[in-house]
Amino acid sequence: MPYFEDVELGDEIGPLETEATDDEVLEFCHVWENRGPNRFTDQALAQEARLSGPIVPGIMSMGLMARLLTDWAGAEALKDLDLVFRQPVPHHKPLTIAATVTDTRQEDGENLVECDILMTGAEGERYVGGKAIVALPSKP
Amino acid sequence: MATELDYDRSLHDKEHEAGPFEVTESQIQAFSRGIAETNPIYTDPAAAKAQGFKAIVAPPTFCTIMVHQVSLSDINLKFNGVPMGGGMHAGQRVQSRAPIVAGDALTASSHLKDVYAKTGRSGTMVFIVWETTFRNQHGTVVADVQESYVRRG
Repeated sequence: MPYFEDVELGDEIGPLETEATDDEVLEFCHVWENRGPNRFTDQALAQEARLSGPIVPGIMSMGLMARLLTDWAGAEALKDLDLVFRQPVPHHKPLTIAATVTDTRQEDGENLVECDILMTGAEGERYVGGKAIVALPSKP
Repeated sequence: MATELDYDRSLHDKEHEAGPFEVTESQIQAFSRGIAETNPIYTDPAAAKAQGFKAIVAPPTFCTIMVHQVSLSDINLKFNGVPMGGGMHAGQRVQSRAPIVAGDALTASSHLKDVYAKTGRSGTMVFIVWETTFRNQHGTVVADVQESYVRRG
């Protein structure tokens, strides 16, 4: 886990290389109690919704993006994740999640690191983007 | 031409309550598998207890799966007098306030936070933002979740 004092503006976090499989989306939809079939799990229903195939739920993409930050800063470090869903995210495609530090500050007794975060595809698709704030410990 | 955004503004002051929702160990583990999360604090009770928690901890965006269980009112949106229906999920924000652990019972309270229009090359889009506050069984706020939906004019 990084210390606050070691983080500088422009630092890169990640990338996290991942993909969402059919089984993972199905399991996510079950725990979400959105069991479908629906545009997240079914080819025909996705096409009815003018999609080329089933897509990853936005809140599942959000969970994947949060993983980048909890992997980097610890399970309880993520304070704020604010995302815009720009394009549908397909199943079984390489996804790259990365962040760039844009601000560091101390506020209300916490060491906060703000960053821009982006999920992209292999062809440069910008699927999901936004901002995040994590809290880091000081050096002992 | 002046544009007019009309909707049920009383919903800004109306709280839609739901719950309690019991957070189970199997729910947290399934959520974690869905996002390929392997941190043992989210999956292994012994690892969570070793870090001082009474049970496994929910990943920070866990509450997002509960928002849809709140029954929200129709805002009766009209743009320039024309009803606007449908809508796509445009964005999501989660602000984590306190840990959520297995065994917690969460309640949700949602209200209409914002409605605004943006006009670009493809026309006018209206954004609708709902904010949901989650509290645990002790009354502690554990997360605020904002969901944005967009409708095209």
